[in-house]
Amino acid sequence: MGPVSGKIAGILCVLLAAGLLLRYAEGASFRDPGMNPHPVALQRPHDGPLSAVALLGQRIFHDPSLSASGKMSCASCHSPEHAYGPPDGEPVRHGGADGSLQGNRAVPSLRYLYRTPNFSIGPDVNEAENVDLNKLAVQSQGTVRAVKTAGSVAAPAMVPQGGLFWDGRANTFQTQAMGPLLNPAEMANRDTAEAAARLRKAPYVESFAQLFGPGVLKDPARLLDEAMFAVARYEVEDPSFHPYSSKYDYWLEGKAALTEEELRGLRLFDDKTKANCAGCHVDRPGRDGLPPLFTDFQYEALGVPRNADLSVDRDLRYYDLGLCGPQRADIRGQTQYCGMFRTPSLRNTSTRKVFFHNGAYHDLKDVLAFYAFRDVQPDKIYPKGPDGRVRKFDDVPAAYLGNVDVMDAPLDRKPGQLPAMSDADIRDIIAFLKTLDDGYRPEQLAAR
Amino acid sequence: MKKILCAAAAFAVTAGLAACNGGTDFSAQTPVDDLKTATPIKHLVVIYGENVSFDHYYGTYPTATNPVGEPQFTAKAGTPAIRGFTPALLNNNPNLTNAANGTGVSNPFRLDRSQAATADMNHDYTAEQLAYDNGAADLFPKFTGTAETGGTGAFGTTGLVMGYYDGNTVTALWNYSQHFAMSDNAYSDQYGPSTPGAINVIAGQTNGFVLGKSSFPGEFIDDGQGGLTLTGDIDPTGDPCSSTTDFGSFSGKNIGDLLNDQGVTWGWFEGGFSLSVMNSNGSTGCGRTTTSSVTNATKVDYIPHHQPFQYYASTANLKHLRPNSPNTIGIKGDQGNHQYDLTDFFAAVKAGNYPAVSFLKASGFQDAHAGYSDPLDEQTFVTEVINFLEQQPDWKSTAVLIVYDDSDGWYDHQFATVGNGSFDATVDQLTASGACGVKGTTAQADGVAGKGAVNGRCGPGARQPFLVVSPYAKANFVDHTLITQASVVRFIEDNWLGGKRLGGGSFDASSGSIDGMFDFAGGAKNPVLFLDTDLGTPVTTPSSDLPK
Repeated sequence: MGPVSGKIAGILCVLLAAGLLLRYAEGASFRDPGMNPHPVALQRPHDGPLSAVALLGQRIFHDPSLSASGKMSCASCHSPEHAYGPPDGEPVRHGGADGSLQGNRAVPSLRYLYRTPNFSIGPDVNEAENVDLNKLAVQSQGTVRAVKTAGSVAAPAMVPQGGLFWDGRANTFQTQAMGPLLNPAEMANRDTAEAAARLRKAPYVESFAQLFGPGVLKDPARLLDEAMFAVARYEVEDPSFHPYSSKYDYWLEGKAALTEEELRGLRLFDDKTKANCAGCHVDRPGRDGLPPLFTDFQYEALGVPRNADLSVDRDLRYYDLGLCGPQRADIRGQTQYCGMFRTPSLRNTSTRKVFFHNGAYHDLKDVLAFYAFRDVQPDKIYPKGPDGRVRKFDDVPAAYLGNVDVMDAPLDRKPGQLPAMSDADIRDIIAFLKTLDDGYRPEQLAAR
Repeated sequence: MKKILCAAAAFAVTAGLAACNGGTDFSAQTPVDDLKTATPIKHLVVIYGENVSFDHYYGTYPTATNPVGEPQFTAKAGTPAIRGFTPALLNNNPNLTNAANGTGVSNPFRLDRSQAATADMNHDYTAEQLAYDNGAADLFPKFTGTAETGGTGAFGTTGLVMGYYDGNTVTALWNYSQHFAMSDNAYSDQYGPSTPGAINVIAGQTNGFVLGKSSFPGEFIDDGQGGLTLTGDIDPTGDPCSSTTDFGSFSGKNIGDLLNDQGVTWGWFEGGFSLSVMNSNGSTGCGRTTTSSVTNATKVDYIPHHQPFQYYASTANLKHLRPNSPNTIGIKGDQGNHQYDLTDFFAAVKAGNYPAVSFLKASGFQDAHAGYSDPLDEQTFVTEVINFLEQQPDWKSTAVLIVYDDSDGWYDHQFATVGNGSFDATVDQLTASGACGVKGTTAQADGVAGKGAVNGRCGPGARQPFLVVSPYAKANFVDHTLITQASVVRFIEDNWLGGKRLGGGSFDASSGSIDGMFDFAGGAKNPVLFLDTDLGTPVTTPSSDLPK
């Protein structure tokens, strides 16, 4: 296990060499209310050189020659400069042989997916919990308020959880990567044979024979499987897919201080009666130091408004029902899950310009306003119909309205009640969410 | 060492613990080294791994691909040939040419070290019989290749069942084979998954199953004599970690009963068995888990249907009671009743109380079972155990057996002629529909009740690796004697019990002998081999890490 990345180790060495500086930093941590008073040691993934297979996967990931248009690679939509999420604000991407076809769903980030469990429907397993961060945040502010009751056990519910894509229809990176390669609106290979033919023309084709035996070049299906496995291996091995270099990670470790605004945001994030974000977007490290992923891997029907910018949504009979279709085919009969989509990680979310499965929002402020006003002032969120009435949950068919979450705060309010979050709360939460962006340099601490 | 230390241990026991165990006098226990044995082996350690076929680990032995950056393996001159892949099997395999395999048609192909985490195969009693296709061994993709997925980084492909590792992944096992002895003709006693394999290695008999509760078919069958035979996985009745919907137990005897009769110390040591330990991730009790750094998947440590002694009233420790002390582990009367946590094994050996017979089962993530474990985590487990034992004074009288409970359904080309027939109209599909063997011609052993031949024990099943690591093991040697899991039972009986057999239709009576892998006359001359616990390559100084 390499608990600390090479870069941080280097920084630490510098600090250790300058012992005085370290003592200053330690001293500061006790005085600074923004510091985590009970730092934890985070277990980051082992950070070694990429294997031959992962290096092959890296080339495939960035290779546009594998698409029908010759212009689209994995990296086109999963932009390495944007936390492997969409590069701009387009709600869903365009692709296909001539680049004119619009996709159905917003591009999820590929970061922090590697610990996703297989899709299952089972009892809700309580996350191992470590320190009560809400309590710590309160302590560090010196204020007294009700703390989130850690360990309150709800009756086990049968909940869908795990899996990749918005609907969990793939369990492995390998099968996930196969999707865009063959999707007509994405890289648009007509079939396995066409994709394999493109691979055989790639400059790295000899690597396949070396690693998987010469037979692989004669077997299109396996060639494709090996290629997508190589992409998977790149996603597993390359630290850029799970850097854990956010300010929040360093705060957890006692190496960075949160501002007052960020701490207020964290408190609201954890407040069961207010934003209650942590109810789904788990923000505590495991007891063994596994950094939090800000998702419980479970599924929710939130009732996000329909997005008129999507060509599929112009067909009024079309509904994207997530777990029960149309893209996922295996549990269509489980109508109690219609309208549910997987809870994404919130790491790097503030760098995105597209939110929710249909890309309905482009600004975090609007996302949080959706949570705040959906039930208390739905007219702020949904359009009006010809009859002048607000068409609440306009992207969920009437038969499945019962699936929409109206139980969990902040989605448990009634019209006319106060919103769960004020404008100031929303500003604070966004300030906190920005601490989840990777690329924070803890040496900024020294400059404070 | 033993005599003095054992006496000291016995003294400590009588002085300190007899009172709290209802007066059991542990000092009456004969020291292990004084027990009469037929061979110089005084300590047998069975590492019972999960779900590996012989070709899956040894198909191309001793030739490794050696890509740059991976642990390298080069065979010693004079390495004997094994029954692995021929050029024909590699390039024109019957699983490629049999179109019934559909899109799964494939030659065997190399799995890279980066592909240590793979999906799991189908390893049911009937599916494996169908894959062997009356000896043609040409329907693996069709019948056992229905893969389930592992973690996000797992590898899968339609013909995955044809994948094999080489010495760049299973490096430690290949190195042990170079220095010690192995069999290329070892099989599970019958087709099917883990629980039958676990039961056979201690009892040689899966008949005598007593149903507790069952929620789906395929776990057991009517034996044709009014009883039941276990053919699938099911949890032990009464174990608090067992499923609440699927559990059962066994009548009949196992090797533990015979060892108890003779006062021989023994234990089954399994990861996660102690319910009072809390792992570093905060998990405890039956839900104790470990996250593998190879698969990134989290798996429960203790898997009840891998613990065979829990199915028998005489040898169960259903409450998972902890041993009275490290000095009483394995001794009759200890409240653990021979069922312990893996860590108890190391504690006992360190305390000078090294049992005569020890079965070791890794925590889930290290047990080698595809889908949630993998050969690299398994390698860490195996090398840590053997490095530790090789540094003990009693290594000179130790034999470690590396044996597997089933094949997982992974391809293996070597079919064993049916030695024990079975003729259940539904589940037996090996030689014909409703048949494993030829009725009236193929031998068919009795059930535990002694009322005659029973169904559900079609075997030998799939071929698996079988290694002997011991100072008495022949060096760089491959034995071709047909052996099965029950050969382990037979060795224990022959060594400690004067050749007494379990009876009741157990395969111990008919199984082959593993003695061919030993050179007992030559003295304890085979030197130790320490291996790197990550890479599986030889080192001069081993790490002191132990499995948990």
